[in-house]
Amino acid sequence: MAVELTSKRYRVEDLDAVEFCYQQGWTDGLPVIPPTPDRVTAMLAAARLDPKQELAFITHRSVSITAEKVAINAVMAGCRPEYMGVVVAAVEGIGDPAWGYHGPGTSTGGAAVLMIVNGPIARQLDVNSGDNLFGPGWRASLTVGRALRLVMRNVCGSLPGLLDRGTLGHPGKLSYVIAENEAESPWTPLHVERGFRPDQSTVTVMAAEGPHQFYNQLSPDAEGVLTTLADSMQHSGGAGRQPQYVVALAGEHMRTIAGSGWTKKEIRQFLFDHTKNSHAHLKRTNRMPGDDTKMRPLVASADDFLIVAAGGRAGAFSSFVPGWGSGTSSRAQTKEVKH
Amino acid sequence: MEILDPTVEAATQPIAYVDRPGSLKGKRIGLIENTKYNSDKLLQRIGEILKSEYGASETRMFRKHNSSVPAHEEIITEVRKTCDVIVAGVGD
Repeated sequence: MAVELTSKRYRVEDLDAVEFCYQQGWTDGLPVIPPTPDRVTAMLAAARLDPKQELAFITHRSVSITAEKVAINAVMAGCRPEYMGVVVAAVEGIGDPAWGYHGPGTSTGGAAVLMIVNGPIARQLDVNSGDNLFGPGWRASLTVGRALRLVMRNVCGSLPGLLDRGTLGHPGKLSYVIAENEAESPWTPLHVERGFRPDQSTVTVMAAEGPHQFYNQLSPDAEGVLTTLADSMQHSGGAGRQPQYVVALAGEHMRTIAGSGWTKKEIRQFLFDHTKNSHAHLKRTNRMPGDDTKMRPLVASADDFLIVAAGGRAGAFSSFVPGWGSGTSSRAQTKEVKH
Repeated sequence: MEILDPTVEAATQPIAYVDRPGSLKGKRIGLIENTKYNSDKLLQRIGEILKSEYGASETRMFRKHNSSVPAHEEIITEVRKTCDVIVAGVGD
């Protein structure tokens, strides 16, 4: 397929190409792979995309995100061509009006984009779902999220300190990609709960704080483990603002909870019932004003807890990730990997 | 080596500003509240000052869906009909 790439071209000495990208302000602080026409063409070909195809339109920025620009940034991030479909689905996710780009892309709240990959593509591309879940070591996990953030920077203009005004930010803003451990999980995968077939591949994007780890090495049953989790979550994130949450249950906790016969639905309901705060407490701790006699759930609905089985087999640790802002200003989106 | 530009120029769009009024005397003030805590109280106070010290005739408060989105269509329509001047702010 002959493709016509219309982006402006620069001719640079081979040895100076990476430095040139720094000088242009195109990188996130780490070196990038120089986006040559051949590499960009291969990225587009793998996803069978026309360079001009619009993948998302960010209304508040009046920015059209085309396949060509996504491919250039994916090359720079270090993606292999076969990763392109996942990057595209993530772009579609953050371009959805219900994700609300302007808030999490700009806010002092410093959100990153947590990506959860489900379905066969996660295993094909080796997106990490196990040991060192949020850490380094897996090319797809590190480069797919980086590609998305480079698109946000270079195409949407979310430059740190300018239109990205995160007060603190966090390391997940470099890349923040996990997969669900569907092979070992006893539960319905996240994407199936959200309306897809098990054999479809999807990416779920949530505007998110960093991961919070908790431990429970004592409990032999679901209620024990989840009591610790609920206690850790109760005052986390923007308590009072009712964001969404991702809960990543790793191997030992996954087996303990499943051993009690609990489904994801029962986990969500338990967390909903046990993470409510009294308005009196929220008021006393200067989080929000309110009526002292009432209770405020941590999330607006039990379905705002997104539960995934993910993390290493060994270790009595799991994790929760508070979403950015409130669940009404940005909602997690799940998009199929079609390309 | 030839490399491609990963950035775009945002599409430009002209924005027309209405003329500022020479005086607020007798003007109807719209207050666009963005849902953040106490933003309503702050705007209410500003509205009172605009009435007592600058002679504005009345104030009306409108509430956005949330602080991250522009004012929605119903607000724009209503403001056009009922207000001469608006005060909008994003504050933390």
